[in-house]
Amino acid sequence: MFESIANHSPGIFQWLVVSTLLFSIGIYGVLTRRNAIGILMAVELMLNSGALNFVIFDRYVAPGAVDGRIMAIFIIAVAAAEVVAGMAIFVALFKQRRTVDVTRMDMMKH
Amino acid sequence: MLNQVVTNLLFYVFAGLAVFFAIAVVCSRRILRAAVYLMSVLAMSAGFYVLLGAEFLAGVQILVYVGGIVVLLVFAVMLTRSAELLEDKPSLVRKSLGLLAAGAFFAMTVGLFGLSAFPALREGALAGGDTAEIGRRLLDRGAQGYVLPFEVISFLLLSVAIGGIVLARKLLPKEGA
Repeated sequence: MFESIANHSPGIFQWLVVSTLLFSIGIYGVLTRRNAIGILMAVELMLNSGALNFVIFDRYVAPGAVDGRIMAIFIIAVAAAEVVAGMAIFVALFKQRRTVDVTRMDMMKH
Repeated sequence: MLNQVVTNLLFYVFAGLAVFFAIAVVCSRRILRAAVYLMSVLAMSAGFYVLLGAEFLAGVQILVYVGGIVVLLVFAVMLTRSAELLEDKPSLVRKSLGLLAAGAFFAMTVGLFGLSAFPALREGALAGGDTAEIGRRLLDRGAQGYVLPFEVISFLLLSVAIGGIVLARKLLPKEGA
């Protein structure tokens, strides 16, 4: 049994499948959530899977370089900036409209 | 060999848990619980980074994502009183459309991955950890360096901090007033 586990090392394909699965779950969340903060969480899932992809390719395509890891650090920084801006917008919206339900944000329609 | 067994087991355990918690993030009806599940997904990702040999990134992931971003999200939940509300279930149309989009993306991407080979373009290994090399590359002003994006990112963070304060500080003027 141990030998069969040892022979099933994850290759680049397995890693990429996991990361794609996380990204797809993020897509589903963005499309089905109604609370704006829930949508932001799903976007965080997708950003995280993008950073994971960079590190995977760094490890398997250019093992001697760190460029992919530096890109992942930049993604983490941009994600932090995005959450700060999103939170400020949601708080301002909540103060004015008492809700963060995205299906009721239709003031540009009327 | 035992080493290999442990590493492979860790990969499959982390992968299973990450996918499980990710599904919990998008399906949980209580938004505060979703934040806690998101924290677990991000911690699993830190485990992935360790398995991929990027220890420095794993540390950054824990510090910034789990310690900072999730806390900020929890604050956002509290400030908008979303914690008290139960989100109603998405309608069947919305649900099936979301499933269709996500499933189509997954099928197409995995199919493409299966068709393509990823040969190693640059062989080689890092001597002893990646932290020193990342630090050198981030502040290198040569053709291979990342000092300009580093500075741009720092300006982005500064401007977003100021913008966040300005946006959230006071009531926006009411319409027509």
